[in-house]
Amino acid sequence: MTGAILAPGSRRGAETMERAAVKGRSLWDDARRRLLHNRAAVASMILLAVFLAAAIVGPYLTPFRYDAINKSDVWAPPLTAGHLLGADALGRDLLARILIGLRVSLSIGVVATAVSLVIGVAWGATAGFLGGAADELMMRFVDVLYTLPFIFFVILLMVTFGRNFLLIFLAIGFVEWLTMSRIVRGQTLSLKQKEFVEAARAAGLSTPAIIGRHLVPNLLGPVVVYATLTIPAVILTESFLSFIGMGVQEPLTSLGTLISTGADEMDLAPWLLFFPAFVMVATLMAFNFIGDGLRDAIDPKDR
Amino acid sequence: MLRFFLRRLLVAVPTLFLVITLAFFMMRAAPGNPFETSRKLPPEILAHVEAEFGMNRPLGQQYVSYLAGVARGDFGPSLKYQGKSVLDIIAEGFPTSLTIGLSALVLGGLTGVALGVAAALRQNRALDYWVMSGAILGVCIPSFVTAPLLRQGLASDLGLVPTGGLNGPISLVLPVVVLALPQIAIISRLTRAGMIEVLRSNYIRTARAKGLPERVVIGRHALRAALLPLVSYLGPACAGLITGSLVVEKIFNLPGLGKSFVLGALERDYTVVMGVIILYATLIIALNLAADMMLAALDPRVRLS
Amino acid sequence: MRGAARIAASLVLAAMLASCGPRAAIRPACPAGKACLEYGNGSEPVSLDPAKITGTWEDRIVGEMLVGLTQDDPQGRPAPAMAERWETSADGKRWTFHLRRALWSDGVPVTAGDFVFAMRRLMEPKTASEYAYLLFFIRNAEAVNDGKLPPEALGVRAIDDRTLEIDLTHPAPYLLEVAKHETMYPAPEHAVRRWGEHWTDPAHYVANGPYRLVSWRLGDHIRLTKNPLYYDAAKVCIDQVDFYPTTDPIAAERRVRRGELDVSSDILSNRVHYLEQPDQMAAYVRVHTYLGVSYLVFNTRDVAAFRDRRVRLALDMTVDRAFITQKLERDGRLPAYTFVPPGTDNYAAAPLPVWAAWPFERRQAVARALLAQAGYGPGHPLSFEYKHGDSPEALLIAPALQADWRTIGVHVTLAQEEGQIAYQDLRVRNFEMGAASWIADYNDATSFLTLLQSNTGAQNYGDYDNPAFDALLSAADNEPDAKVRAADLARAEQLMLDDAAIIPVSFFVNKALVNPKITGWVDNLTNWHRLQYLCVKRQP
Repeated sequence: MTGAILAPGSRRGAETMERAAVKGRSLWDDARRRLLHNRAAVASMILLAVFLAAAIVGPYLTPFRYDAINKSDVWAPPLTAGHLLGADALGRDLLARILIGLRVSLSIGVVATAVSLVIGVAWGATAGFLGGAADELMMRFVDVLYTLPFIFFVILLMVTFGRNFLLIFLAIGFVEWLTMSRIVRGQTLSLKQKEFVEAARAAGLSTPAIIGRHLVPNLLGPVVVYATLTIPAVILTESFLSFIGMGVQEPLTSLGTLISTGADEMDLAPWLLFFPAFVMVATLMAFNFIGDGLRDAIDPKDR
Repeated sequence: MLRFFLRRLLVAVPTLFLVITLAFFMMRAAPGNPFETSRKLPPEILAHVEAEFGMNRPLGQQYVSYLAGVARGDFGPSLKYQGKSVLDIIAEGFPTSLTIGLSALVLGGLTGVALGVAAALRQNRALDYWVMSGAILGVCIPSFVTAPLLRQGLASDLGLVPTGGLNGPISLVLPVVVLALPQIAIISRLTRAGMIEVLRSNYIRTARAKGLPERVVIGRHALRAALLPLVSYLGPACAGLITGSLVVEKIFNLPGLGKSFVLGALERDYTVVMGVIILYATLIIALNLAADMMLAALDPRVRLS
Repeated sequence: MRGAARIAASLVLAAMLASCGPRAAIRPACPAGKACLEYGNGSEPVSLDPAKITGTWEDRIVGEMLVGLTQDDPQGRPAPAMAERWETSADGKRWTFHLRRALWSDGVPVTAGDFVFAMRRLMEPKTASEYAYLLFFIRNAEAVNDGKLPPEALGVRAIDDRTLEIDLTHPAPYLLEVAKHETMYPAPEHAVRRWGEHWTDPAHYVANGPYRLVSWRLGDHIRLTKNPLYYDAAKVCIDQVDFYPTTDPIAAERRVRRGELDVSSDILSNRVHYLEQPDQMAAYVRVHTYLGVSYLVFNTRDVAAFRDRRVRLALDMTVDRAFITQKLERDGRLPAYTFVPPGTDNYAAAPLPVWAAWPFERRQAVARALLAQAGYGPGHPLSFEYKHGDSPEALLIAPALQADWRTIGVHVTLAQEEGQIAYQDLRVRNFEMGAASWIADYNDATSFLTLLQSNTGAQNYGDYDNPAFDALLSAADNEPDAKVRAADLARAEQLMLDDAAIIPVSFFVNKALVNPKITGWVDNLTNWHRLQYLCVKRQP
């Protein structure tokens, strides 16, 4: 997925990169065209757009509120009592709950990924480029943080500061940047070997200029791809946390919480598992297809 | 090679030390007291109990004596489970977690590589699409969805495996499969991508031009290079397995370390938490070291950087 | 393609083979000719030392190995055990127990000294036993526990090896009930002195009960096996028991269904109705009323609003107990408008409050008025945090309470915590409104009412302090006439309910899944089903 973007030693790859360095825009035009021809990616983008709209606007449009308890509708099957997708053990409308859960999961996904992106790219590119002792130091720091089991870190945070929405963003984003930085560093390392970097150095460009003008644009492709693929990973992580009881506080819910309660009541009320699971899997798959599509669009060599 | 190893080792030891220190002080910073989870104790009794566990000394002193104990192999007693030492608890939980984790890694690795290579060799054909779609599903369906579904089908309905508990190796089948599925998905994608990239490279073209049989080209040359990204994935894989084991141990009611660990943090059982962290940290550091060594062995450029 | 087809075919074949015939349950091997029991016990015990345990799940195990002066009969009522007979003095303050001849599992005789040793050890401050207060009716017990007197001053004495004398501060007709509680178990003095804290290790555990400890694998299972030196060993049918920590009741249910477990000590309440269907597990489901109540507590110390009786009453009236018990919990439990559960010995249930019969909307309207009188309304809404544990039942009730209180203009935020942490927070008053539950330690109204005595300490979560209430309880303690005593206690309860000191929500039922092949399990009020009365029907 990651190192595969730029095939080392391929002549066309180098030409592509050169062209990118010189006239950046037409590369992205090519990429966009290729992306739009990828049916799976296009379908996923449409799906995500629909889901996003539903998550933002939906909760205001449903006949029931997500936290309204309808006392006579406990475990109502789909298409009964006005509940399109049925109701849960408290009589709450499942469609409304799924839309709110989607909203929560998507927000956590996007925000945490953004956090991890900013920190990870900066850290990894600098470490990879500087190399030597600085690289060692910076990556050792990443290693140290890596070895703290994530769950422990999050539990401690939650135990100290309480179950806070903001905290979940930060905690997850703070962990994901580690992998991002490693990948960016790896990419930088291999990019460093390329001729155009040596050429730029020979031309007398300063280090920050090289990083900013040559490395980062070439990293952009893989970073965008990885970011698109990080969002589903974050959503998954958040649902793990919800599963062990560290997720968002009731009555708010996330797709993960809905699925974990639905799984328990699978034999009594299968719709409680099926619909949230379907929405989550579709969302995650959509992000994955788009990420794959982006990757293929930026470097068609892979296809 | 040896110098490379020593350099890495020299960094690994202080890393472990740093992890222990960070965890120790973070743990103590959390509010709550291990001796007051059941009742609030009158001050004299609390003082007495704390003295017994050496917790009335200044924090720095506790830290130093803890480190000394660890060096001796003594992780202290559990603060929660009277009469059980941390080593007891770890010794009881770790073999299960390790077995499941390792099996899942091996299963995931072998299956993933096989599928990835097969897909790369039949790129854009039916098998490739099946593998890629399967891989995306494998990553997108969380383990706490696959676990109950598989359990319902294979355990509750067909009775092929037990629905929970630990009664011999058969109890591990379902947990291992559930843990392995996302790994198979990720590893197959990584392998496929790496393989494709390598197959188009110059030296493979050279090898083919030299007239080497395809099996040698793939087996000896391509595979070696294609497995590179896989080796750097080992670290995240381990972390993923540790997180995943928590879910799997909960769903299948398995007596592993994951449960002791979360419970320990919530109950402020400091010694157990520290013990588990040290164990996991050592594992991950060792694994990263091994991964770095493998990477260096496979790719000489890394060694020289 | 061909390879894939072959693989697919063999998978289908395997599935077909797998589905013919019922499969044997996967469970630990049981030695031939023996009866083995696989028991899903709920939580993991923190210890097997009777002085350190507090949960029913722990006593389910320890009480099989250690037996007190009395023990549970199949109905869960006290029957003679280590004590053959006993006498009470005229004023009810001195009890003399005569012990039978019995041996510890290592052959050493059980003596009255073992009881004295155990109770002194329990009371000692350094044992830090949470349940020490249960025996505060023994003379000097409270002083010993506070460290003001040495343990030897405790009012229990071994007249000789087989005669035990207990002096009380006031008559306690329920002493025989307490005698079967873990606080009054004997401890093998010779073993504890020899092994210290490690006397509970499997290698050293000495038992006087029907079973002894074989192994304890943390998180996995605890194994007990028959104790041949138990005085009634001939009647014990089950040879070996494995206790499993089954914290997830649905997972336990699944395992019982498959035959991997024989008993599950709990059922998720809203599944009881479903499991009772004839095509589900009707023959396994055992439900009975229970001496337990779930209730909400107010932190009157830190939240000013809760010191106002009108606020408490308004919140009390607008809990929809009918919805909670019938639609959410669904296990046949009763709504609770009073505190002491029905079925308690020597006690008549308190009358329901007058508003219990009103329709819910009327109660809500009156509650709004009460809140307005107390100064809360749309411009100045009452808001607080409701803290609760993470049990499935708690998670169901919390949003329902929040929604119902929202309709009377009260803003509630929910704070969910892991079960044990929630209890810790209750004890240290780190909450605003909390969810609590209480199961009787012994079958008497005082087991519940003492929770609200002003000197109870940590367990009096709401810090209820009413001198009239305390006085009535003291009077009852010293009252020899059972009827007068019951009347005193009833008046005390009424006082407390009028004050809306707590909000009772529901009376528990005890529920378990028991494989029909197990005989001797009698559903009872106290939920004690000792293993020595159980047997396994052999398959013909």
